[in-house]
Amino acid sequence: MTGPTLAADTPMAGGQWGPPVYEARNIVKNYGHVRALDDVSISVRPGEVVGLVGDNGAGKSTLVKCLSGAFAPDSGHLVFEGTERQWRSPHEVHSAGVETLYQDSGLAPDLSIRANIFLGRESRRPGLLGWLGFLDEPQMAVSANAQLERIGVYIPSTDRRVDELSGGQRQAVAIGRAVAWAKKVIILDEPTNHLGARQSAEVLDVIRQAGQSGIGVLVVSHTLPHIFEVCDRIVVLRLGKVVADEPASDFTADSLVKAITGFQRKTNPLGP
Amino acid sequence: MPSRTDVEVLSADANEPHPIGAGAVGLRGRLWQLATNQQMLLLFALLFLVAAFTSQNARYLSTRSFANILQDWAPVMLMATGETFVIISGGIDISVGSILGLAGVVCALVMQSMTVGGADPGLTIAAGVGVGALVGLGVGLVNGLMVTKLGLAPFIATLATLGAAYGLTLVISHGQQIGGGPQAVTTVGNSVYLGMFTVPLITVIAIVAASSMLLAWTQFGRWTQAIGSNRFSARGAGIDVNRHLLMLYAFSGVLAGLAGVVVYFRLASGAPTSGSGQELTAIAAVVIGGASLSGGSGSMVGTILGALIISSILSGLIFIGIEPSWQQVAVGGIIAGAVFVQGLTRPAGRAA
Repeated sequence: MTGPTLAADTPMAGGQWGPPVYEARNIVKNYGHVRALDDVSISVRPGEVVGLVGDNGAGKSTLVKCLSGAFAPDSGHLVFEGTERQWRSPHEVHSAGVETLYQDSGLAPDLSIRANIFLGRESRRPGLLGWLGFLDEPQMAVSANAQLERIGVYIPSTDRRVDELSGGQRQAVAIGRAVAWAKKVIILDEPTNHLGARQSAEVLDVIRQAGQSGIGVLVVSHTLPHIFEVCDRIVVLRLGKVVADEPASDFTADSLVKAITGFQRKTNPLGP
Repeated sequence: MPSRTDVEVLSADANEPHPIGAGAVGLRGRLWQLATNQQMLLLFALLFLVAAFTSQNARYLSTRSFANILQDWAPVMLMATGETFVIISGGIDISVGSILGLAGVVCALVMQSMTVGGADPGLTIAAGVGVGALVGLGVGLVNGLMVTKLGLAPFIATLATLGAAYGLTLVISHGQQIGGGPQAVTTVGNSVYLGMFTVPLITVIAIVAASSMLLAWTQFGRWTQAIGSNRFSARGAGIDVNRHLLMLYAFSGVLAGLAGVVVYFRLASGAPTSGSGQELTAIAAVVIGGASLSGGSGSMVGTILGALIISSILSGLIFIGIEPSWQQVAVGGIIAGAVFVQGLTRPAGRAA
């Protein structure tokens, strides 16, 4: 398993990012008469962590689904590594090196941690048995641990069934899996949902590391402090339109909430 | 250098005291024990049943009686094998009984007409077996396409083919038994080796063995379980869920078609009603074997024992002089009981 290279792809100090690894230009998507996405453009560069925020119904999920190949946009362009692509299936996007972790789609609870990590990419035994589809469990056991350790999630044994894990543990495994496999881009939909403070911190650590390893990361979240904590750039969607796309350092908590809601709120937006 | 997220830290929340995978060796030991226990329990149940029926009628405990049970078991086991895969994938196939009947009758008609035409018996038998499997494949594909392309619930899709295949069976057989195949059919179907094994039975055992390996040790089996456990996660992992489901229903259809051929070899004729109600027996075998009707878990070892248990019960009821009409009642009761027991033993927190 080759990991993404480090140093070479990391952004330079002055915020000099390379060209986008994945880009959506002028995306329009309608549901019947409802325009869910209206001329939306967004890009993510290698090593960059981009936050996508917006109120419920702003179009975040629709945009994620367009990027992951689950939906085809009605118009607009998806440009991956400089080439315009017309994805025919999520599978194709997946093979190109874009991992998407949907909220709550997570893991298969009846399978072991290891089976989940390798789901869809199982190692087969050599020779005839492999051709017949026989699985190489010992090889996967070694490689699963190596993959998880590489991205900073340490698991003593991957034999346990996922339904014996707590919600936070499952999320750690799910994100670990996505980060471990992502070759170019990883899209995370609400990765810290339902997690305690400490576990969220660990998940954010994994996200930061994914960025540092040269992968483009797109994080969708309602939890604005988490967005501020890990993102280099923040894109704000409101009613299907991009209303802001700035370096994270250009936002304050107030200005971000204002961008999201379109008006200044009196209450503390960052919550407890 | 990525820093290591220590798992003790990762799960330091008070409500989550266990690190990921901690105690897995002990746990694996425990799980293994549990699994073996469940299958041991099935084995004990089987032995208990044999003892109970024997106490009522001593002839139950004999090679001859066991040979009979295995003859009954073979077609049920074939259907239950496909059913195990389908149920683990989160679906259900209630058309297997009708497929059995249709495949048996079509197989009989092909052999009959080839025999009348003076074809070579070996060729005739090969054609009959092949056609039986193809009929199963055809109906199975229809099931699979209705589930994947039309998005019908598996119960409804296979209910439709249950009715259609049964009707078609009556149409082409005119409700009559179809005999007139080559003499060799009787020879092949009823020559017994080692007191209880016939060629069809040995073939069934080979298919069941191969299917057990397919489920437990291959990517195909892993994907089947993953789809039943969480279809969205399977799709997210890049598995072509619809293609896999189509293959599963086709697989179930082929095995049910072959079950029809097995029955044909036993009776040397194709009986239009031979499959009616058999889907219940197959499903009962799977749920007794411990597969969850909500998908995601189950095993072939369990199904094999489940099918043996149900064949032993059905045969035993006859041995102790209970009218055969009661058999379906017994099967219904067994399904309800098995699912109820499953509900009691299912670990909490399965959902979420």
